[in-house]
Amino acid sequence: MPNTDQVMVRLEAICKNFGPVQANREITLDIKAGTITALLGENGAGKSTLMSILAGQLVPDSGSVYIDGLKVSLTSTRRAIRYGIGMVYQHFKLVEAMTVSENVFLGQESGPLLNRDRMRARVLDLATDAGLAVDPDAKVANLSMGEKQRVEILRLLHRDSRILIFDEPTAVLTPPEVKQLFGALKQLASRGKAIIFISHKLAEVLEIADEIAILRRGSLTDQMPTDMVTSRAELARKMVGREVILQVARQPVEHRQRVLKIEGLSDDVLKDVDLELRQGEILGLVGVAGNGQKRLVEIICGLQRPAGGHISILGKTWTKFFGNTNRDNLLSYIPEDRQGLATCQHLNMLENFLITTRHAFCNGPWLSKQRARPKVSDLITAFDVQPARIAATARQLSGGNLQKLVLAREFFRRPRLIVAEQPTQGLDIGATEEVWNLLLQARERAGILLVTGDLKEALSLADRVVVIFAGKLMDAFAVGDTARVEQIGLLMAGLDPSAGKV
Amino acid sequence: MSAEIIILLLAATVQSGTPILYATLGEIVTEKVGILNLGVEGMMMVGALAGFIAALYTGQATLAFLVGGLAGGLLAALHGLVCIGFQGNQVVSGLALTILGTGLADYLGTPFVGQKVTGFSAVPLPLLADIPGLGPVFFNQDPLVYGSYLIVPLLWLFFRNTKWGLRLRSVGEYPEAALAAGVSVHLYRWAGVIGGGFLVGLGGAYLSLAYTHLWTSGMSAGRGWIAVALVIFAFWRPERALIGAYLFGGIMAFQLRLQAMGTHIPSSLLLMLPYGLTVLVLVLSSRKGTRAQSPAALGINIEPAE
Repeated sequence: MPNTDQVMVRLEAICKNFGPVQANREITLDIKAGTITALLGENGAGKSTLMSILAGQLVPDSGSVYIDGLKVSLTSTRRAIRYGIGMVYQHFKLVEAMTVSENVFLGQESGPLLNRDRMRARVLDLATDAGLAVDPDAKVANLSMGEKQRVEILRLLHRDSRILIFDEPTAVLTPPEVKQLFGALKQLASRGKAIIFISHKLAEVLEIADEIAILRRGSLTDQMPTDMVTSRAELARKMVGREVILQVARQPVEHRQRVLKIEGLSDDVLKDVDLELRQGEILGLVGVAGNGQKRLVEIICGLQRPAGGHISILGKTWTKFFGNTNRDNLLSYIPEDRQGLATCQHLNMLENFLITTRHAFCNGPWLSKQRARPKVSDLITAFDVQPARIAATARQLSGGNLQKLVLAREFFRRPRLIVAEQPTQGLDIGATEEVWNLLLQARERAGILLVTGDLKEALSLADRVVVIFAGKLMDAFAVGDTARVEQIGLLMAGLDPSAGKV
Repeated sequence: MSAEIIILLLAATVQSGTPILYATLGEIVTEKVGILNLGVEGMMMVGALAGFIAALYTGQATLAFLVGGLAGGLLAALHGLVCIGFQGNQVVSGLALTILGTGLADYLGTPFVGQKVTGFSAVPLPLLADIPGLGPVFFNQDPLVYGSYLIVPLLWLFFRNTKWGLRLRSVGEYPEAALAAGVSVHLYRWAGVIGGGFLVGLGGAYLSLAYTHLWTSGMSAGRGWIAVALVIFAFWRPERALIGAYLFGGIMAFQLRLQAMGTHIPSSLLLMLPYGLTVLVLVLSSRKGTRAQSPAALGINIEPAE
């Protein structure tokens, strides 16, 4: 392909580590003016990290950034803004209590006094120019997600940003809003702006991007013009990758009685979900984050009341199961948010351990810490939690060690139904392997619902996999079914491989 | 009651509302940047003493008034250091500031008890003071009262129509957004805390320079706490603070007059009136959903960047 376009941004050998996790390794990427470049990859592939570096939010451990051929140092957002780099974050950075034009002008006011008429005119100008209709005097709090996003874009345009980064911009939009956004993006690109589009949705990347760069596990694994992509399946394979880095020994376990049955569960997020889980089985629920996994998990774990449909947990209805306060030994929830939901940051290991296991250490109204102490000591040794001090508070533990503490605690209760949400997210390889082995052991006496965005994890651990997309379970199959497994990437992107030729 | 007595009472209302007004405006500025400073009472006391001492030694009333403001700002800087510098707990730091400020002022002020300063006295404004009714109430006051008339609309304009006001508000609403817009969050938080403390200090100085012309220990008598409550009543808006401050000024002036006239109501009950009203006002204004009006990041420290 003739390279007539001008390279506007060059990222060279960017490396960024978070503790032991390598978020970006040696990434070199060119971004051209007038082009929409898609950054495609799974959750945790390092897309957002890379773009936060370009937006001046994160400083890379090594590597350099060139803009128009000149090496620049992007140590703050203000500097990045000055170089014409603007980012639309997944979580909008707008002041809800202020109006649209106040938000657009914040930080880039034209003079000491705010001239509201001029501000309004400017916003309207920018809006009509880019085809993004929005009322300049509306309070941001009253806008829809799509409109808020338009405000973010207008803000970048007001600053004359030339490099526009969009982090998963369609995640919060309705289909017509997506269409409008794509129209605006194309128009901006045609005017010479460089657009970077972060996504893990194949269909929209193929629709909007001129160039596709694929990130996997922190490395740039592939880069090609969209015209060169022959099929979605090819793209899916490149994004997901097929190699399994970790191998865990999985002994077959007999599937015994049913521990969870869901029929026709529907609400504003979920659509007619049916699910069944037996003791001795690990069921992998895979999908791109934000497709209804959270709601489903919250309902199963009793954090949210089901709106419609029928749920039976260990043979009891939802209302009956959660009506009984002494649920020891039955249901364990291993949440994704191990620092916020699973543990209390300022409590020590013993206290964190007692949060869910206290019923086993009670004498009437008294809590016997003395009785719990040796147990916790044993578990810390058995699970190899570092630092191995009972008095250490949760915040002194690394993510992996905290997760091991949570698992030790939950497995101590000998649960019969385990809901594990992204159990290895953010863990290094060693810790991941340990957590996997623990889960495999636990299924001897429990049914495990493994909610994960990591396909390799699901394929390594689960007996069966269900794919969730937009609140709907797309398909369920055994992991041994290789033909179907090949299609997971497509299912996660909401495409039905049986329907169309890919 | 004759019309003359009512006009006298209303004039006293404006005068006793003024220190509360300064303090409330100061706390509004502070809270607008997302910092809750419960040290208003302490800052007022320190401002009152500093202003008094400055007036005693220099004889310059205006200078003394500004010194009172500076003292308030200085004490507020301590709060800024704890909350912005070290991410300390804002409530605890503010309470400590009140204890420190009142204690410090009482201790340092002991030698000055019983002395007198000239300070400020009423200067009727030409023409305006002759308006029947309004004139004697609003325009036969000391210059500091006139100053407060100006500060209210200026502050309103500042928040609404200047870039600094916009940035200041953004920092108290959603610091991440301000940061992403390239606004220096720390700078504006510091400015709000110190600027707010300055206004609170002015309110304190008013007590010793214009309201009484003397120094007594415990002279702010809970006005700082009333100001904290008035911020909520005012929905963080300067123009509503004016109404609130005069409401409380009125109650304070009224109960003083009532005591002077000699009633059968025990004086302790009368003295309680303003504080009882504080509770009532808070209950009533929180019914109207004040949460939505308060700066969204109020009381939340900014986590240091990684």
